Amino acid sequence: MGEMLSEKDKIFYFSLLPPALTTLGLLALIVSTIGAKAALVLPQALAILAANVWDPENERYGLLAPVLGTLVVASIAGAVSLVLGLPLTLAVAELLRGRLGSVLQTLLEMASAFPTVVIGLWSARYLAPFLSENVMKPLYSSFGFIPAFSCRPLGGYSLLTAGLAIGFSVVPYTASIMIESYRLIPSTYREACYGIGATRYETARILVSLARPAIAGSVLLGVARAMGETTIAAMTVGNAMNISACLFEPSYTVPALIAAQFGNANLYRYAEPVLYLAALVVLALALALSAVGFKLVSGWRVRIVG
Amino acid sequence: MASWAVRRLEDRLFVAAVVLGSALALAPLAHALAATLYNGLSTIARAGLGFFVNPPPTPYSASLGGVAPALVGSLLLLALALPPSALLGLLLAVFTNEFPRSRAAALVEVGARAFASVPTVILSMVAYSLLVVPTRRYSALAGAFALTAASLPYSYTAFSSALRMIPEMYREAAYSIGMSRWATVWGVIVPIARRGIASGVLMTLARILGETAALLFAVGALRYVVPLNPLGPVDALPLLIFDYALSPYKLFHEVAWGAAALLLIVSLALFALSKAVVKGVRL
Repeated sequence: MGEMLSEKDKIFYFSLLPPALTTLGLLALIVSTIGAKAALVLPQALAILAANVWDPENERYGLLAPVLGTLVVASIAGAVSLVLGLPLTLAVAELLRGRLGSVLQTLLEMASAFPTVVIGLWSARYLAPFLSENVMKPLYSSFGFIPAFSCRPLGGYSLLTAGLAIGFSVVPYTASIMIESYRLIPSTYREACYGIGATRYETARILVSLARPAIAGSVLLGVARAMGETTIAAMTVGNAMNISACLFEPSYTVPALIAAQFGNANLYRYAEPVLYLAALVVLALALALSAVGFKLVSGWRVRIVG
Repeated sequence: MASWAVRRLEDRLFVAAVVLGSALALAPLAHALAATLYNGLSTIARAGLGFFVNPPPTPYSASLGGVAPALVGSLLLLALALPPSALLGLLLAVFTNEFPRSRAAALVEVGARAFASVPTVILSMVAYSLLVVPTRRYSALAGAFALTAASLPYSYTAFSSALRMIPEMYREAAYSIGMSRWATVWGVIVPIARRGIASGVLMTLARILGETAALLFAVGALRYVVPLNPLGPVDALPLLIFDYALSPYKLFHEVAWGAAALLLIVSLALFALSKAVVKGVRL
């Protein structure tokens, strides 16, 4: 304790320690449970991560497709949350700083209250066929020489659909962090820009470049969240142990693999530990990305408010 | 510098791009809202009030049935998961708000952030191996454990921002008349922040009701029986939507839409309520 506390305040402090320790203990319990359950296959972790097979009958496992799929889907979702989150930020915090801006912001908050399973259901029924007909097929027939577009789309369940669907669901979250950060830029910067006769575009460009670390951090936080998204991924990615450069093919993400396989994994000897290993990989990635993202955002906020 | 005409054109294009980008961001969500309400409400209209009191149909049954077991299961899970999540979240928020410079509070802050980035499907695996395997049965309790862990970072964040909104002068006034820190927190700060806290409770509630992945391997999806035992298996609305959407039967798809509309309406009502509750706070 850095400050002096009275006897009574000390008692208060210690009375709140149990809930604090419970929470930290719970976190430790989660991480250690996943680690302990994966321990059986940890010695073969690299071989499992490098192989691509899911054959529990013969106890042969590999996680390459889901791990790569997770990275691809999370990257697409991150790109979506940047490309759509930045206009939302500029609309709410720069162009519409009045009634309309707060309406738009309330709409965004409302959108983040949508349960993911509803987004998943909509994506499976509407987004997947729409993308297949109107985006994937045209791209395939016109730009099929590009590896990412080089396969004939079937039905729409694919890496691209999962990435876009998760991206749409993450945008309100990413945009809210961007907006909160953007609003912290002291108005003197804006006034200085307009004062020398800069247009809205020139002003926004300067302010956005000023906020670049916070924007990057928001996107990383969005990517971390996209990585662990289970419901939408399981409903759109197509669930196939398939590695392909083509974004129109069905594949897997780690959470989708867990959702599909963990329920029956206790029938086999190694399926469960392998799935815990997969969970450990995603957990480590998500924790690392969100730590870096948070550092970028909060470090920038301290500097800009100065 | 470019000529004025070019700069004005740039500016117009910029505004157009911002408008277009914002519209593109909102369009999918607006379409999802409209499609869910359209499909779901037509299911509920055809099923009638039975949608809320009947068990789900079998794949080839003649009637739509209902979602009563999942509805009751969701409420049971909510009753089990909301109190620990809200209570723990509030105590943590008071702790970090009162003793912000202590090492333990800093640890709690980091811990809450880490908690928020744990994928919820992983919480379900943990509930499975810590509660389902030892007791040899799926249970509402195991689901509530996963839901508490999944919603704790949200309740904590909501409560700490509610507490941080209270101006320091109230604390100073309480100290100046000789109130202890304990009395100040529970007698002054928390009561003043009650609207923010109530709003946080509502948002936590919505989070718990809408969570799917945390339940996958914990509750056992008791689909056709209304559950009454917290130590036994239950179903939940999100889980039913998830399973039925992935099933090959058209009838199940219709029930999934109906349940999705119900869940979405409840979530949006809770959101509106949480907004209405904080309104009128003037400090």
